[in-house]
Amino acid sequence: MKLEIELGDPDGKKKRVVEFERKGDTCQVAIDGKPMNADAVQVSPNAVSVTLDGQSFEIHLTRSIDGKMKLQCGPHEFSAEVMDPRAWRGRKHGALEVEGRQEIVAPMPGKVVRILVTAGDAVEAGQGLLVVEAMKMQNEIRSPKNGKVERILAKEGQAVNAGEVLAWVE
Amino acid sequence: MFKKILIANRGEIAVRILRACRELGIQTVAVYSDADRAALHVRLADEAYHIGPSASRESYLRIDKLMDVAKKSGCDALHPGYGFLAENPALPRACVDTGITFIGPSAEAMEAMGSKTAGKQLARRAEVPTVPGTSEPIENPEEAQALAQNMGYPILLKAIAGGGGKGMRIVPHDAGFASAWRDAASEAMNAFGDPRVFIEKYLVGPRHIEIQIFADAHGRCVSLGERECSVQRRHQKVVEEAPSSVITPELRRKMGEAAVRLSRAGGYTNAGTVEFLVDADLNFYFLEVNTRLQVEHPVTEQVTGLDLVKLQIAIAAGHRLPFAWETITPRGHAMEVRLYAEDPDNNFFPSPGKIISRHTPTGPGIRLDEGVYEGWTVPLDYDPLLGKLIAWGNSREETIARLRRALNEYTIMGIRTNVSLFRRILTEPEFLRGEIHTKWLDQLLARPRPPAVPPRPGTEEAALIAAALWHSTNTNHGGPGSTDPQSAPSRWKMEGRRQHMEHLP
Repeated sequence: MKLEIELGDPDGKKKRVVEFERKGDTCQVAIDGKPMNADAVQVSPNAVSVTLDGQSFEIHLTRSIDGKMKLQCGPHEFSAEVMDPRAWRGRKHGALEVEGRQEIVAPMPGKVVRILVTAGDAVEAGQGLLVVEAMKMQNEIRSPKNGKVERILAKEGQAVNAGEVLAWVE
Repeated sequence: MFKKILIANRGEIAVRILRACRELGIQTVAVYSDADRAALHVRLADEAYHIGPSASRESYLRIDKLMDVAKKSGCDALHPGYGFLAENPALPRACVDTGITFIGPSAEAMEAMGSKTAGKQLARRAEVPTVPGTSEPIENPEEAQALAQNMGYPILLKAIAGGGGKGMRIVPHDAGFASAWRDAASEAMNAFGDPRVFIEKYLVGPRHIEIQIFADAHGRCVSLGERECSVQRRHQKVVEEAPSSVITPELRRKMGEAAVRLSRAGGYTNAGTVEFLVDADLNFYFLEVNTRLQVEHPVTEQVTGLDLVKLQIAIAAGHRLPFAWETITPRGHAMEVRLYAEDPDNNFFPSPGKIISRHTPTGPGIRLDEGVYEGWTVPLDYDPLLGKLIAWGNSREETIARLRRALNEYTIMGIRTNVSLFRRILTEPEFLRGEIHTKWLDQLLARPRPPAVPPRPGTEEAALIAAALWHSTNTNHGGPGSTDPQSAPSRWKMEGRRQHMEHLP
């Protein structure tokens, strides 16, 4: 098996080619064509134990909503995406966005309890726009930039999902 | 002793109480809302009854429904846990009317001590030192603002019915008063159904140290020593330990005596906690009484060897406290961290969701009190506390080392947790020296984060290999990335077709 995997960490993303073959009790592993002295076994549905030159690692894995893998090794987190050569490329999510307009999204599911601004108001970065209540705590959603409130899409009392657009700041 | 106890709570504390009942041979009755049908406390209980929709105001806060369940199931006692109705005097009253025992203080003692203003008045009468502030709730915001100006900023707004940092706001200067008042009152209304708020002078840099007391119905009242809970984020305790690194045996005795004096003055019975602020000169000021079991009670359990929940049950059943104060000496050191489903990288926003996988620590000196399991969806309707990780050892150093070790073993996938926050706290030199106060954590979090420790060499490669193996195993079973969806027709589809066939004329 040969896979191109894009591995992401807080510093950025790198594409690497992993070859992995299990023959009986031994693993043959190569990364970017370079053979590795490594072994990997799945120890639970969401965990893989890897030994590499005698060093032992335990990696916990899940799939996130966007289809990427999320990996955790102790305190370190990675994302990984297997590049499918048949996948349609060139889709750039940000390209459609109007320069400068910021979508204010709900960071988690909750209820809009108060709207502190109206469309057309001038706002400063850090100024409160709305108050969302979740798990009994009221959290102020603040403007990410200096600008003008272009539209308020949420209503007071409305239940919102994570990622739902609440307002636009131009 | 009781035969059957109704546990009027959910989450980790319901599980904790249930375990104590099991050990005492008492039957347990759980209650649950729509969101909690599959919760751990329901799964472990002997009996479980549905009491309403997910919103706590329509389920866990409904005294009438709890009393119905108590009658229907034949309970002879009720344990309220903490939060929800635990400090609402209407609950012990309803228990009396229903003819069951409330495991906690009487409604009168709760009123005399539990509300922050009443507690303060009682403290003054019992000659326990207090922080300057109003002792009455203030209805009118203008009047309150005038009082605040007189007292001098910074001041603190607190909900009368409050707890856990909800309905609480610091007001640094006059300009922020109106909005802080509005937020505190509305949060208090939502959390406790009581919007009343009072004002207190805000001490700069104090420690939060509390005394665990126990009083039986035969006039004996003892202190089980202190817990230091100075590490707080937005007034919410996140790390608790016992003993405190600043308390001398002399001060422990004095604070214990003050707490006992207060509880006697209030006619208190059962478990209670008297909270104090302690300033740099080791003066202590009464803060409030929590008329219930505390979240952080395991810390005291680990240094005293006592089971506080079992003690609560025994006292409620009329037993005498089986020990004298002189015999209780804290042994070793214990520390607790509160594991929350919240995202430390996104301003600690709650992060509910499904726990996809989880590995929990075990081993010497480690205790994990949890209310969750792998596959459980943490609901967004309640406090996002997952559980508490407690470590104990011979010294503070050994305890911290054990806690660090356990946190490294703790892995949870699917939701975000605040584990990384504790990894950071437990390596901060100030924390290790015990130089903490109630603002310490907020100040720490305002400082730039130290550069992350780089992963050891090989971690990236190991991650790549794990990703490759896991991807290949998970795509061979017809998962979302399956290479050939045609090879195995969906069983759902086949079942649907079969059923259609049966309906043919």
